Amino acid sequence: MITLKIAIRNIFRHRTRTIITLSAIAFGCISLIFVGGFFEDTLWQMRESYIRAHTGHLQVFKTGFFEKGNAHPFDYLIDNPQEIISLTKDIPEIQFVTSRIEFSGLLSTGDNTISFIGQGIEPKNEPGYIFSEEKLNLMRENTNIPSTLLITKGDSLKETDAYDVVLGKGLAAGIEAKVGDGLILLANTVGGSINALDVNVKGIFLTSAKAFDDRFLRLNLATAQKLLQTNSVLSLMIRLNKTEDTIKVKDRLQELFKGKNMDLEIKTWVELSDFYTKTEALFNRQFLILKLVIGIVVILSIFNTMNMAVLERTGEIGTIMALGTKKSGVLNLFLYEGIALGLIGGVIGIAAGSIITYLVSIIGIPMPPAPGATFNWLSQPKVVPSVLIFTFLLSLFTSLISSLFPAYKASKLEIASALRFTA
Amino acid sequence: MNVVRVEKATKDYLLGKITVCALKGVDLQVEKGEFLAIAGPSGSGKTTLLNLISGIETPSSGKIFIDERELSGLTNNELADIRAQRIGFIFQNFNLLPVLTAVENVEYPLLLTHKISSREKRIIAEHALSQVGLAQFARHRPLELSGGQRQRVAIARAIVTNPSVILADEPTANLDHKTGEEILGLMKKINQEQQTTFIFSTHDQKVMDMASRVVRLWDGSILG
Repeated sequence: MITLKIAIRNIFRHRTRTIITLSAIAFGCISLIFVGGFFEDTLWQMRESYIRAHTGHLQVFKTGFFEKGNAHPFDYLIDNPQEIISLTKDIPEIQFVTSRIEFSGLLSTGDNTISFIGQGIEPKNEPGYIFSEEKLNLMRENTNIPSTLLITKGDSLKETDAYDVVLGKGLAAGIEAKVGDGLILLANTVGGSINALDVNVKGIFLTSAKAFDDRFLRLNLATAQKLLQTNSVLSLMIRLNKTEDTIKVKDRLQELFKGKNMDLEIKTWVELSDFYTKTEALFNRQFLILKLVIGIVVILSIFNTMNMAVLERTGEIGTIMALGTKKSGVLNLFLYEGIALGLIGGVIGIAAGSIITYLVSIIGIPMPPAPGATFNWLSQPKVVPSVLIFTFLLSLFTSLISSLFPAYKASKLEIASALRFTA
Repeated sequence: MNVVRVEKATKDYLLGKITVCALKGVDLQVEKGEFLAIAGPSGSGKTTLLNLISGIETPSSGKIFIDERELSGLTNNELADIRAQRIGFIFQNFNLLPVLTAVENVEYPLLLTHKISSREKRIIAEHALSQVGLAQFARHRPLELSGGQRQRVAIARAIVTNPSVILADEPTANLDHKTGEEILGLMKKINQEQQTTFIFSTHDQKVMDMASRVVRLWDGSILG
């Protein structure tokens, strides 16, 4: 008790030095909270935009498609999508399930021919939002990464558009196609023969992923099925209300499929978006390095302060040991002091970091496009509870580490020589 | 019974490569209630002798007894307990903890033991402070007190555990003459009223005159 009292009072003995040390600790904590919140928001925006515009949360395929489907995708078609969809009706976490078929082929204007990947989709589930280029330019600087397909020219696909396609911006530019142009789609049918279809360009779309916009076009599922001469679909895409439920729903579905002896495999968005998972790993690694750097800076600053304190108070250490304080008491005195310093700095840093991060998130930081993306976007750093907890533990841990040696040194002082330091 | 007994104590220090002999076989017996002065010029070994008695330093040879208990062979923690319970200290530079108030400083030695409740500890500390006439300064920090007042707080801290012996190393050396006399008078009064044993070092003749017995140290040995 008395040890703690002395430790705390000693902290405020040298106000300037304490304020500087506390600032160093607090600044470290603020940086961690802010950068952690920034990374979290960036990843969250990328993730949600990718899930909503591309992969969905879960996709159901015929077993084997992922391993062997590249060469012969049509060997792994799902013949009974409606049966599967009806199975999912009772899972409340699911927002909707939609069928897709994906195929590659050639796209021709007559003058130009280019290869493409077509996605047959159900427009009622995966609509494109009409967003003119002008409007897009206006919002560029002050919005989050868009989480849907944006139709920048023309109109979005409707359920009734039997001979219309929407083209990715890059793809359209590649064959110099404009809205209203007639195109020829050429693809292998499921049976292996070649089929062609005349279509109209109904719109040009843009997503956050440039690679997608450069190669993909979308059309009605029924149109695609007609071109490929099949009634089957390749995959079922499942969108959930909350991304957090992904694994839970996957497990539930796996159980359901097993019960019905259905030969299906389920992939989560994590498995489907290689780019996102790699970006996440990169960010986590960067954040780890930042944590290390800040940890070391905090350790050094507390160490310096505690070392000075032991040096200055040599006479006092001699006095309390002469009065009958044990070595452990001296050790505790300086450990408490260091830890208290770390905790006070940590708490100030966590409070200030949370407030600053929150304020910045209200204003937002305009960002250039993420790697492989097309949009400028607005970062709104999040106050992440796990980062706050980590920061608190870091300040506790670093202060303990950095006061160990000074405290040990103090406890090892010889009383008689320490007493000679009193002036 | 002797409160303090020193038998043929020697103390050698290694200064670089030269061995310096600070004490050369000192014998000393101190009975309860003595007001003993250890006199001698600086470098004669006064502080070393006091350090050996309190177990702050260990003798190179010879034996030290406190209340007839031998100190050699005791662990650091056991020595610390003996100091906390049986020995009071008064220092030349007062050596109060600047972050504690006067009453907290006085209370400090009591807090090292767990025999009585914290309420009682505070009451005992306040009583000790009033014995040295500083009851109204209980909440003052050492820096807010004069030299004489600080040394009074130190005396209160030394008597608060009701120790067997109080060791005072040049208690008046950093005080002006008048204050020094007052401090010595206070120690003498406590000695007479409570039969507390005092051993103090000094090289001041006026201080020696107040002692019940004077032991003269010269170059590490007791004279005559």
